[in-house]
Order: sequence, then C-alpha cells, then structure tokens
Amino acid sequence: MSAKDRPITSSLVNIAMWVERRLHLVKIWKATAGHPIPKSSASWFYTFGSMTLLCFTIQILTGILLALVYVPSANEAYRSLLFLNYQQELGWFLRAMHYWGSNCMVVIVFFHMTQVFLWGAYKHPRELTWISGVVLLFLTLALSFTGQVMRFDSDAYWGIGIGAAISGRIPIIGAQVVNLLLGGPIIGSDTLSRFFALHVFVLPGAVIALVSLHLRLVLLKGINEYPTPGIQVHKGTYWRNYEEMLHKDGMPFVPNGIGKDLVANGVLLLVMVALAVFVGPKGPEIPADPAQVISEAKPDYPFLWLLSAAALLPNGSEVILFFVVPLIAVILLIGLPFFSNVGEKHYSRRPVSILVVMLTYLTIGLLTYAGITGPWSPRMEAWSGTPTKPQFITGRSPVELQGALLLQGKQCRNCHSVGGEGGQRGPDLSAVGARMNQPQLIRQVIQGGGNMPAYGNTLTPQEVNALVSYLVSLRPINTIPALNPAIPEKAERVSSGEPTKGAKTGG
Amino acid sequence: MQARTLYSILLFGGLGFLCGCDRLPGKPKEEDRWKPPSEIKDFALLFNTNCRGCHSNGQTLSASISMNNPPYLAVVPKEVMHKTIETGIPGTQMPTYSDKAGGSLTEEQVNILVEGIYNWAKGHEAPTDNLPPYSAALGDAERGKAVFAQACASCHGSGGEGTKGKGGAVDKAYLSLVSDQYLRTVVIVGRPELGMPGFREYVPGKPMTGEEISDVVSWLASRREGPAPGQSAKTAEIAPKTQPSTPNE
Ligand code: HEC
Ligand code: HEC
Ligand code: HEC
Repeated sequence: MSAKDRPITSSLVNIAMWVERRLHLVKIWKATAGHPIPKSSASWFYTFGSMTLLCFTIQILTGILLALVYVPSANEAYRSLLFLNYQQELGWFLRAMHYWGSNCMVVIVFFHMTQVFLWGAYKHPRELTWISGVVLLFLTLALSFTGQVMRFDSDAYWGIGIGAAISGRIPIIGAQVVNLLLGGPIIGSDTLSRFFALHVFVLPGAVIALVSLHLRLVLLKGINEYPTPGIQVHKGTYWRNYEEMLHKDGMPFVPNGIGKDLVANGVLLLVMVALAVFVGPKGPEIPADPAQVISEAKPDYPFLWLLSAAALLPNGSEVILFFVVPLIAVILLIGLPFFSNVGEKHYSRRPVSILVVMLTYLTIGLLTYAGITGPWSPRMEAWSGTPTKPQFITGRSPVELQGALLLQGKQCRNCHSVGGEGGQRGPDLSAVGARMNQPQLIRQVIQGGGNMPAYGNTLTPQEVNALVSYLVSLRPINTIPALNPAIPEKAERVSSGEPTKGAKTGG
Repeated sequence: MQARTLYSILLFGGLGFLCGCDRLPGKPKEEDRWKPPSEIKDFALLFNTNCRGCHSNGQTLSASISMNNPPYLAVVPKEVMHKTIETGIPGTQMPTYSDKAGGSLTEEQVNILVEGIYNWAKGHEAPTDNLPPYSAALGDAERGKAVFAQACASCHGSGGEGTKGKGGAVDKAYLSLVSDQYLRTVVIVGRPELGMPGFREYVPGKPMTGEEISDVVSWLASRREGPAPGQSAKTAEIAPKTQPSTPNE
C-alpha cells in the first residue's frame, strides 16, 4: 500500500507535499488548531467561546444570502422582507435563522463573558484577551441593534429613535452625530442606508478584525486552565507554571480537546434551527411611517430590558440610563482586569464576583421579563375589540351594563384589563369593587391619578354614575362592595373633596 | 462522538424540511401578514376588532345587544344597520365608523360587516309573523305604564325599579344613556342571552303588538330626566338637577 505501488496516490501525495512545502500548512495547523491546552480546560464551561463563533459564522452566511434579496431603501426594504417571507422558497427560514442566530449570539456572548469572569480567566496575562472580548460584546450588541433597523418596520423605529436619543446626548457634537446617523434631521431613506452600511460592512468587518485579535491572543496567552480554589495568580510565576502544566499535562486542542465543543455547538445549532422552524422570523410588523406614531413597537429581545428600564424610570432620567450607565459599564468592564489582576481565580473564593453576576442576571432578567409581558403601552384596539368574559356581564343591571359599555367606549380597556383581557398599563379591574368604594372610584375616574388621565371633563354625571356602578359590581361573587376605604389616605381626600352631584342621581 | 453529532444535526435538520416546509409552525402565515386597516376584507376580523367589545358575535356575552341574533336581524332593516354603523348613534357609546365622517372603516368594509352579520341568521331565521315595525313614533306613556305592569313588572318590578336579581329598567342614569330606538329594539328582541325574552313571550300566547311596544317605550322615555342621548345641548345633561323627579306612581 505504499505510495510507490499506486501511481495516482503517489502523484497526489506529491502535489500535497508541493503545496505543503510552500504554505507550511502543518506548521500552521500545529500552531492553531493543534495548539496544546491544559487537560483541565476541556470542560463544558469552556465551550461558549466556540459557540459564539458558530453564531457569528451563521450570521455571516445567512447575512450574505439575505443581502442577495434585501434592498436597503425605505421603499423596498419592507417589500423585500415580504418577498422573503411569502414568496422566496425557504426565505422565511433564512430570516428566522438570522434573527434567532442574532439573539443566540447575544445570549452566548453574555454567557461566555460570565464564565470568563467567574473562572477568573481575565486575570494576568490575559487582560487584552478580555478587553478585546468586551469590545466584541459591544460590537455584537451594535450588530443586533442595527439589524433590527433593517426590518424598517414600526419596531425598527424604536431602535432608530433610541439610537438618535443616545447620540443626541453626546456633549458638544451630539447634533452632528445624530445628523450623521440619520443622514438628515429625520428618519428616512438615508437613515436606512447608513444603518445598512454599518450593519453589513463596518460592524462585521470590525468583528472579524477583533475576533482575529481575540483568537490570536488566545493562542499566544493560552487557554485558561480550570482554576483550583486556593491557587493564586502571581505575575512573576504564572506563565512559567502554565507552560510547565502544558508540558506535563497538556494535549492538542484538535483532536483531543475539541469533543465537548463539537457537541455543544451541535446542540446550539439544533436549538437555533428549532427556534427558526418552530417560532419563525420576527415581523415585519407595521411598515415604518413617520406620520404614524405606533406606541406598541417593541425592540428585539436583547434590548427589551432597555425598553422597560426606560419605562420604569421616572421621566427625565433617560440621560442617566442611556449615557451615564453605559459609560460606567464600559469603564468597569474594560477596567476589570486592572482592578483585579492577580490573586484567586476560582469563583468560590471570590464571593463578590458571584454577587455581581447574580445581580446583573437578575436585573437584566427581570427587566427583560417585564419587557416581554410589558404593559408599557396601551393596547389601541382593546376598547372596540376585546370582549368581556361572561361573568362580568351576567347579573348586571341595565345601568351597570351601560357602565360596561362606557368602559369600552371611553377606552378605559386600552389600559385596563377585566378578567385578564385588555391593556396592562393600569391595574386589572376584575375585583376593583372589592378594594375601592364608590367615592374612591368616583374620584379615581374624575381626577385620574398616577398614569391615568382625568375623565372629569369628558364624562357626564350620568356616565360617571353608570361607570362607577359597573366598577362597584366588579367583585367576586357573594362579596359585598368595599365599604371601608381600602386606602385611608385616598378616602380622606374623597370625603374632604366634593363628590360629584350627578354621580348621586339616578336609581 | 463527533460523527454522531454531525449525523444527528443532518438527520434532524433534514427531517424538519422533509416534514414539508408549508406546515412548519415558524413559517409566516398569510393571515398574520400586516395589512393596512383599510385593506382588511375578512368579516370575522373586522367584526372582532371593531365590534366585539360591545356586541357579541354569538360566542360571548356583551354589554350591548348581540349581533349574532336572528330575531334582531329579522326586525332590523339592512339600510338601518348600514346607516347605524356609518354614523354611529350620537350621545351613546355606539361610535361613528364611516371614514367619511372621521371613522375608520371604508364603505366597502361596512358592507362586508352588514352582509356578514346578516349571514349569521342564514338558516336560523326567526319567524316573521306578527313582527312589529323596527322603528315607530313614541306612543302613549299612560297606556305604556299598564303594559309595563303586565309584561315587564314580573322581572323589573312594578315601578321598573328592579327586583332581586333583575336590574331596574327605569334607572335614570340608564335611561339618559340609551336612545329610544335602543329601548324599542330591546323590548322587541329582548336580551335572551341574559334572561330577557322577546316580544312574543312576555305574555304567554299573546305577542306584544307594535302599538304596545311604542307605548311601553314611551313610558320608559317619560321616566328619563333631561333629553335622550344626542337629542339636545349637552349643557342640559350636565346642569345640576334641581327639579324634583317625576312622581313615581
Ligand atoms: C392611559 C391609560 C389609562 C386609561 C385610558 C384609564 N386608566 Fe384607569 N388607571 C390607569 C393607571 C396607570 C392606574 C393606576 C393609577 C395609580 O397609580 O394610582 C389606573 C387606576 C384606575 C383605577 C384604580 C384601580 C386600583 O385598583 O387602584 C380605576 C378604578 C380606574 N383606573 C378606572 C378607569 C376608568 C373607569 C377608565 C375609563 C374612563 C380608566 N381607568 C382609563 C391607567 C388608565
Ligand atoms: C364602544 C361600544 C360599541 C362598539 C365598539 C360598537 N357598538 Fe354598536 N352600539 C353600541 C351601543 C351602546 C348601542 C346602542 C346605542 C343606543 O341606541 O342607545 C349600539 C347600537 C348598535 C346598533 C343598533 C342597535 C339597535 O338599536 O337596533 C347596531 C346595528 C350596532 N350597534 C352595530 C355595531 C357594529 C356593526 C359595530 C362594529 C362595527 C358596533 N356596533 C360597534 C355600542 C358599540
Ligand atoms: C323574564 C324576565 C324579564 C322580563 C319579562 C322583562 N325583562 Fe327586561 N331584562 C331582563 C333581564 C334579565 C335583563 C338584563 C339586565 C339585568 O339582568 O338586569 C333585562 C334588561 C332590560 C333592559 C336593558 C337592556 C339593555 O341592553 O340595556 C331593558 C331596557 C329592559 N330589560 C326592559 C324591559 C321591558 C320594557 C320589559 C317588558 C316589555 C322587560 N324588560 C321584560 C329580564 C326581563
């Protein structure tokens, strides 16, 4: 079976050797894929990096395919998405893969960072690896952000609006930056072209450059060994110990160390395909139209927490949210390897790190959850379209039925649900009669309060009467209406204020 | 290990597509596609987004009369329904829908709604014998009082003040919020889904006549304080009520 017996094989080997002598592929292979890693590093926890790379590769591939159809102009963008969704064979799948790939990438970059943080991999001598990673995180977010603008529907507007708002706050040059981003004072075709250029040229280019740097650093400075509690990093000795460990207890990444990465990436790919197949692409929603303000627009998952933070924080704190907080985050993230450069690596010896991670996940998680279930905007069609469950209709007197109609007609249900159906901006009213008494309800309707408008000027006394008698009837069966004021402070104001005359008229 | 991962990826991916791309749940469906509101031509969608909050489609209860209601559809003329949707009923919660008058529906969409609503009665038509006219001038309130005592008092109380479990039909706030026509409509078709029968059944074996209906509506209307909704200047409704209410008996 030697090469001499088989002329064809031997000439193939000759060609291969000829190429090898010129490109030194074996050497490159040994220095990259075959580089030695500590045995302990072949851990499931160490697979997030390669998973991120898989996401990025998928984004590049699907992105190129999408770019074959997508037309980055205000008039055509929306139509090209419809074409992909409904006409192009598997076009929807392509969009879905790109959309879920992007969401997965953000999540996994985040996991990757968490792991690197908890396992102390950012410490000496891998500071620059960490910093390039932080930049990659922001580039990933920027890609996701500009990506949702590509849909150029009502949701995209949210992104552009926030983008403009953030950059508008930059001192001195704010207005110019906005102009640069939007390509003019308002959102239009030029805006889309600019975000397109960012999304498909500038940002991916930057990511590729930084990934190269990141990987180069990984090769140069080695994969972090799996930390052992109690073992300290000392600047003087770390590298010597690490090399010794590689020598004694190392193995080539390929083929020995890559198994878990392959499995993890396989699973991730399956998850992405499943999401694409079962959930599908997002949108496009209502086409972007500067003349129409759509209050129901929502950003993609990675930015939902921003939306809810913006809605929860008091008015005027946007400067802090969109400018001060990110600035502090950048400083902290980039500064991290310098604040804690040596010492313990293992998270069990770094309780503060666990606390930081838990707080971050809790905050972002809760805000995202709030954003998903998010009642931040009224539901504009609830008043005419949302039915009322039978238990809130039967047994009501004619005047209470009129009250139910007023609750629809006066658009209360755009903000209030009854029986869980309707807007979520204000409290659910299913049992409001059990917690507020008649004077309190009258006051609430007439004077509003909190985020509720006052209706005193738009309702006649009879309407207030009907509305309030319906609200009083909204309570669990066999309970009496609230008699004692549930909230003493409110009741006091009611009794001292002047109850409306009209509300007392009638039966 | 690696080979197996690869195979399973291919297998699952392949299976997914073989299942038929048309039936994959993530594939966008034509009906989810956003359309400008004026292009919605689907009756159910039109009704469910514009009317269902107040008028039942037969699947729920609603505070105002159900539209999936053959006895009602037997008595209300199509042109009236069309006009009611276009202009709404001033002073009540029934909104204006015609886009020519600031509403949200095109002429064509109103037509689709009217046709769709009447289609609900197809095959379930209510009997049309002895049918009173849909609308008529008010009758005699005194006679109406007697009709009420005979036909309605069992449920609504002798003075219309309501009985245990059934609401008052002469509540002043109520009467000031509904039009005379609506009162008439309700007396004719009832609110069967809530337990109020129609004109045929108040007095067993003796359907209520058009005249009696006019009379009883007239009595109800006379119990109203101030004008009927949309009838005159709003100031009259908002002005404090100083005059004593009309004597009860
Ligand atoms: C723009 C949205 C919005 C609309 C429209 C609106 N509300 Fe409210 N409503 C709220 C909010 C927000 C609150 C909570 C107010 C607070 O924080 O004190 C509230 C509170 C209430 C409460 C007190 C509930 C409780 O449990 O404390 C009642 C009752 C109420 N609204 C009735 C109405 C009625 C009746 C209408 C229509 C005439 C209406 N609302 C229209 C937003 C709205
Ligand atoms: C906000 C509640 C509301 C919505 C939404 C609404 N209606 Fe009405 N509608 C009413 C009320 C209240 C009346 C009775 C008004 C009166 O005459 O007192 C009424 C009356 C009517 C009537 C006449 C009833 C009669 O007396 O013969 C028709 C027909 C009607 N509505 C159809 C519709 C249709 C069709 C839609 C949807 C396009 C619709 N309505 C949407 C509240 C509503
Ligand atoms: C079998 C009992 C019964 C009889 C008889 C009856 N009703 Fe009713 N009526 C009801 C019920 C039940 C309702 C639903 C509201 C409630 O539960 O109070 C109602 C509601 C009404 C309403 C309000 C409907 C709405 O949609 O706003 C009016 C007006 C009314 N009745 C008038 C009359 C008149 C006039 C008569 C006699 C011609 C009459 N009713 C006979 C049981 C009855």
